[in-house]
Parts: sequence; structure tokens; C-alpha cells
Amino acid sequence: MSESAGANAPKPSSSVKLVLLGEAAVGKVQLSSQVSRGLVADELSFYLQSSLVLRFVNDDFQENKEPTIGAAFLTQKCSLPTRTIKFEIWDTAGQERFASLAPMYYRNAQAALVVYDVTKPSSLTKAKHWVAELQRQASPGIVIALVGNKLDLTNDGGDTSAATATESESEPVRDDGEEGAAEEGEEQDTTPGDARKVSTREASSYADEEGLLFFETSAKTGTNVVDVFTAIANAIPESSLKTGRGGAGTGQTALGGRSAEDSRVNLGDRSAATAKEGCAC
Amino acid sequence: MESLADTTWDVIIAGTGLSQSLLALALSRSGKKVLHLDQNPHYGGPDAAFSLEEAQEWVTSVNQHPGRSPFEDAKIFTYQHPPESPRSPPSQNDSEGSERMPGTPDIRPKLAASRAYTLSLSPYFLYTRSALISILISSKVYRQLEFVALGSWWIHTCTPAPESEELGATNIFHRVPGNREDVFADTHISMKSKRTLMRFLRHISKSEDENGGDTAEELSAPFGEYLSTKFSVPGDLLHALHSLSLSQQSTQDTPAEYAVPRVQRHLSSIGSMGPGFGGVVSKYGGASEILQVACRACAVGGGAVALAIGIQSLKDIETTTEKEEYPVQLELTSGESVRSKFVIGSHWDLPGQEQSPPTSQVARSITVVSSSFMSLFPITTEGAPLPASTVLMFPGDTLSHPQSPPVYLQIHSSDTGDCPRQQSVIYGSVALPGSEGHTLLECAVDRLLHAEGPQAMVLWSMRYTQSGRLRNDGSSATIHKHSPHVFSFPSSSLDLTWEDEVVDMVKQAWTKIVGDEVDHDDFMIFDDREGTSDD
Repeated sequence: MSESAGANAPKPSSSVKLVLLGEAAVGKVQLSSQVSRGLVADELSFYLQSSLVLRFVNDDFQENKEPTIGAAFLTQKCSLPTRTIKFEIWDTAGQERFASLAPMYYRNAQAALVVYDVTKPSSLTKAKHWVAELQRQASPGIVIALVGNKLDLTNDGGDTSAATATESESEPVRDDGEEGAAEEGEEQDTTPGDARKVSTREASSYADEEGLLFFETSAKTGTNVVDVFTAIANAIPESSLKTGRGGAGTGQTALGGRSAEDSRVNLGDRSAATAKEGCAC
Repeated sequence: MESLADTTWDVIIAGTGLSQSLLALALSRSGKKVLHLDQNPHYGGPDAAFSLEEAQEWVTSVNQHPGRSPFEDAKIFTYQHPPESPRSPPSQNDSEGSERMPGTPDIRPKLAASRAYTLSLSPYFLYTRSALISILISSKVYRQLEFVALGSWWIHTCTPAPESEELGATNIFHRVPGNREDVFADTHISMKSKRTLMRFLRHISKSEDENGGDTAEELSAPFGEYLSTKFSVPGDLLHALHSLSLSQQSTQDTPAEYAVPRVQRHLSSIGSMGPGFGGVVSKYGGASEILQVACRACAVGGGAVALAIGIQSLKDIETTTEKEEYPVQLELTSGESVRSKFVIGSHWDLPGQEQSPPTSQVARSITVVSSSFMSLFPITTEGAPLPASTVLMFPGDTLSHPQSPPVYLQIHSSDTGDCPRQQSVIYGSVALPGSEGHTLLECAVDRLLHAEGPQAMVLWSMRYTQSGRLRNDGSSATIHKHSPHVFSFPSSSLDLTWEDEVVDMVKQAWTKIVGDEVDHDDFMIFDDREGTSDD
């Protein structure tokens, strides 16, 4: 998704840190490319998720392409009617494999995307584990979206139907995988030729219980991908956007006119500062 | 959890202290297969930072496994503050928080949730000209970090001015002048003292060439003697200049050759990154956050990171007759066997390897206090950032222990992210191990709190003794070679500021691992990764 056309007037812009979590489930091609790069087998949960993110960031899905790994985080703007949200999308970098996700990964994350595979029931179990982990480790106000990916492998994801209207620009292919599916969850399980193993109803009722946003997507066709990010952007409270990354989630409020912003030092400005300042003695 | 068994690695890094994590960062784009292990279930080793609950777990672990880490004698104290008596004696307690009086609304200051705190075991700051800052910038990882400014230095004095209008704690602390303007503006220093101080500041801010060759022999004298004989610096200023060196020895035990370059570093750092400050603190636990970012960079580059897995045993099987591609055989505490071309860790991570033991010990304390000590965080230069940290030095004689080394307290405001608003974290250190040191630390914190006023109460505290190196204790800051493929970093510096020699050691280790495959001038110089530079 690129920035919305027609956004002539500058809108306020906010950065949102979004973390990705999900089950380690990898396509064969991606796995073998990892092994050939000399990494441990059963690479990364990131690959399941990254296809979703790449669809969002580049509007791109290439089955046989080695996914972009190796970024500290990817950035993507999402334009809302009143403001622009710049997502900083962080992946686990495989650190979850040996229980080594660092506290800094969760620190000040305002949103989380927990991805499972609608064709793998175990991946929803794993997703529930990550939701519990987020509730334990992340900021209390974090917006969590539960996303069932690989909708294209199910019967309700194979063909296109009417797109849900959203504020964001239209996608070339969009399914109403979410709302439509939610009402017919039961029947889908038994449809022949359908790879779906996790019913929409099961996942969405879990999401309701835990207060999560819920979507089913296809990174391959692009179904619902933009909607997920738009919904997250809309769900983040205005107050946490104003304070930005530093203040969000710490439960702190600025008192006495002293805000955290005043004390921050930007290392990136160092060369400029050195030229101006020099030694004080 | 996945298995590490039967895999081979180019390098296994044991321990996630900042030294090892910087090595992991340095190797993150090397294409090497890196396995980064830590026997602890948390990141950071001696540089870790904890929530209150994690601190409790750490204390239990330290006391259960003596000799497995550089720490010993760790204790946590929780405090109850009934409304009528603001400062009650501490009770050692396994549970956190204080009990609420039934029926009455609780307006007493109290601890926030465990995770609102990030308490650092080794809370050192970085001088703005530190080689580490250059590395964080050239490797681009600084984008994931936030830094706040270090403010003033203060000296504890026993004699508060009788008609003092000073607010709060500044009643018993004198601010140490950090530059010429400060010296002129200072109201505590006599005109005569100001002149001698200016002469000294001018002298040490000159380059070595300008000073000629006459400095060498004088610098072997104690710092105090050097100042008084060469510059006639009066007694009341000795402590101030001593504090700028952050020497943890007394003025008499600190050689000038140690202190002078450190005072120079202090003075030349001020203003080098922006007006009014010479040091920075990484938010959310200092070094802990930096090392987590470094470990992540290695993982992003394809390295594997595993916590709660240590090395059980290892041996380097290469002989002169037979070349092995993966000569180091390791048994991990998870029961798995792995092989590697190189292994590097700290003393605590490499069992069975001979090591020279740590040479120094300090007593340390971490105290959560219900006050923000506003008067100790002034903005002293126009355009300077609001300081988030300040350094307090208590000369031994001001604590009725003239022979003892000075006590340093470093206060972190909530802007460091270490604690919630309207609270502070006081990190204390004194080069006197065990109960003697802890008594001095407690005394220093007490003085500070009494001066600040009754609203300043201790909410939580932790004490421990740490072993490591002090720069002037004769230990060397070099990589130790155990066998052709097994190396170790020396034990951690106990300095209050980051020790730049570590960068040299990390580069040494990196050079051994990458060999001649890369240009050594490219150490830690990385381009932005795709997708991250869009600002």
C-alpha cells in the first residue's frame, strides 16, 4: 500500500511500533533457501508473517522468493482520514525459537499482529500462547490483532466477492473473508477440497473473549491485508499516538511541564552538534 | 523448543553481557554462523536489567549458585511506611510492596507494578566521545535506542550553609563546576580558589605537546598531592576534581596518571554532542537495552540466540598434526553436543578454562525512592536537554570514614525509563565489599533522603557485591587465549562509566574470527538495512 492519493494537506503523522508473532511455519522453498544459507532448520516464524507484511509494505507476494529478513524493522505508512500512521514493523528475527525474545522487542509496542495458519490448528494454539505472552510482557494498552492467514487455501478464499468498504484505497483483489465467513463458520469445516482446519467461529470467538481484533487474510491474493493494518491504526487510542513511542505503554503522564521529550538526546545529530559546539573549556 | 544438536557453528559466543553482544553485532553481517548462548534465562549477564519480580528471581539464583556469576551477597529489602512515621526500618521480605492499612485511603507513595521498573545491575553511563557511541552510530543500531542526558556532578558536604536558601537535597551538595563559566558562576568557591582551579583546567585542556615532556614524572604521585603541590588547589576543591575522575579509590590512593586523563575526558566531553552535557544514559536499563539491540542485530543477520543454555564443558581438539574444521567440541547444559570453529565468552561462561580471578570488588545498591530530586537536575546551559541522571559523590570523611573510598550515587530520574514518574532510582557503588560497603551506601542514601525532605522515602532496595576489574588495580583489559580457538573476555569493569577498552577487545575477537576475509577498517560500519532508513 502506498500513501493515499489526494492527501494534499499535511496530516499529523505518528509512529506506531508493531510487533509480529506467530507460529514457526515455513514453506518448503523458504526452508530450503534458509538451510542453504547455513541457518538452522525450521527457520523462522517470520516467514509466515513476513509474507503478510511484504504484501502490506510492497503490495507484493512472491511464493518462491526468499523473504526479506534482515531488517531491524520495516516501515510503512497508512493513511487515515485524520492522520498518517507510520508503522514500524518489527519481526522476531527468530529469537523466539530458543525462548530468547528480548524485553526490548515488546518495549513500547503499541500494536501486535499474531498470525496463525487457517490450515493448521496447532498454529492457533501457538497464537494463543503469544497472546498470553503479550498480555504478560507488553504495554497494557497494546492493540492486538489475531490474523488467520492462507485464506487462499480455503474455499471461501478462492474466489473474489464484494469488497468491504474501508477508508483506505482499494485493493485489486479483496474478499470479504472476515464478516462473511464469520456467519458461516460451521459449514466451512466440512466442505470437500477445503484445506481449512481452523473454523472462523473458533478463532473469532477466542478473539472476542480476549478483546483482539480478528481477520482472516491471504498474503498471496492480498485479501484483507490492508484492512488489518487500517483496523489496527484506527484502534490505537489517540492519546497513545500523541505521546509517541517513548511515552506509550509506560503508563506515564507528563507532570510539572517536564516531559520525557525534553531529555532525549539524538545520537544521529552528533556530527552537526560537534561542528557547532566544540569543547566547553 | 528447537534442537541445537549435531550442528556446527563458525563461532559460539557464550554470555550476553555487553562485550559478547557487541561481538555478536560485529559479526551480524559477516555471513558467519553464530550461536549466541546465555546460561541465564535473561539477557545481559553482569549488565542485565530487571523488573522487580525478575530482580527477586535473580537474587534467589545468585544466592543458590555462588561462584556462577560475579555477584554474591544479594538481598532485597521492602519497606512499610505507616503514615505517622515516614521512614521505618526495612524488613527483608520475599514479597514486594507494602501492606495497605485497612479502611483508610492509601495516599502513601508506593511501588508501581513490577514491570514499571528496569533496574540495572551495571548502570554505567557513556561519555559523549565514547568509542561505543561511534559504534552504535556506524552500525546503525542507535535507531532502536533512546538516550537521555547526564546532568551535573555533586559533592556531599557536611556543612550546609547556615542561611541556605537551597531547596531540597542541594542543601548538602555542592555542584561541581564542569567548565569555566561554571567556575565563575559558583558561589561556594572563593576567588582565590577559582584562580587556581582555572589554572588547572587550562593546564589539562592543553594538548600533550603544549605541556612538553614534564608531565610524566609528576603523574606518578597521588592525585591529591599532584593538585595541591603543582597547582595549589585548595582542599575543598580536591574532592570536586576527584569526583570528575570517577575514581573509586580515595584521593590519596588515586594516582594522578589515572585521574588526570579521566578529568580531561570529562571536560572535553561536555558540549561535544550538544550544549550542557557530557554523558548519556541509554533508556530502559542502560547497557541492558544496548546489548539486547546488539543481540537482535545478530539474530536479524541470521544468528541463533538461545537463553537458559550454557556450556557444560568444552575442548579444543586440534593438534599440530591434524587440522579440524570445527575443532571445538562442546557439551551444552541442555544435553546437546555441538561443534564450533571458535568459542568466546567470559570467565563465567567457559567452565574448566583457567582464568585469572577478578581483581576487585565493589558493594552496590539499587534504591527506588518516592522523590524526583528536582533540585539536583538543573538545566545549567541554555539549550541543554533536561538531565535525566546525575552523579553524587560522598568523600569518605563526610560519612565519618576518612580512610574509606568515596561513595558514588547515580540518580536516574523517571526520564531514564527505569522507574515511574515521581520516583527515582538511586544506583550506589563503593569500592569496599560486603557489609562495610553496604553500610556506607545506606548511610549515603539516608543523608540524601533526609536532605530532600520527608516525602522522599525508600520504596524498595537491593544490595549486592560484584567482582570485576577496576582500571587501576593492575588487571589488563585484553582477550585471553585459552587454546587456538577458545578465547575469553576479562571480567567486567566496575567503573561507573563505560570502559572504551572493551571496544578494542571486541575488535580483537572479531579480527580473530573473520581473519583476513574483510577489511579490518570496516569493523562495525554497516549500511542501513533495507526498509529502515525511511525517516
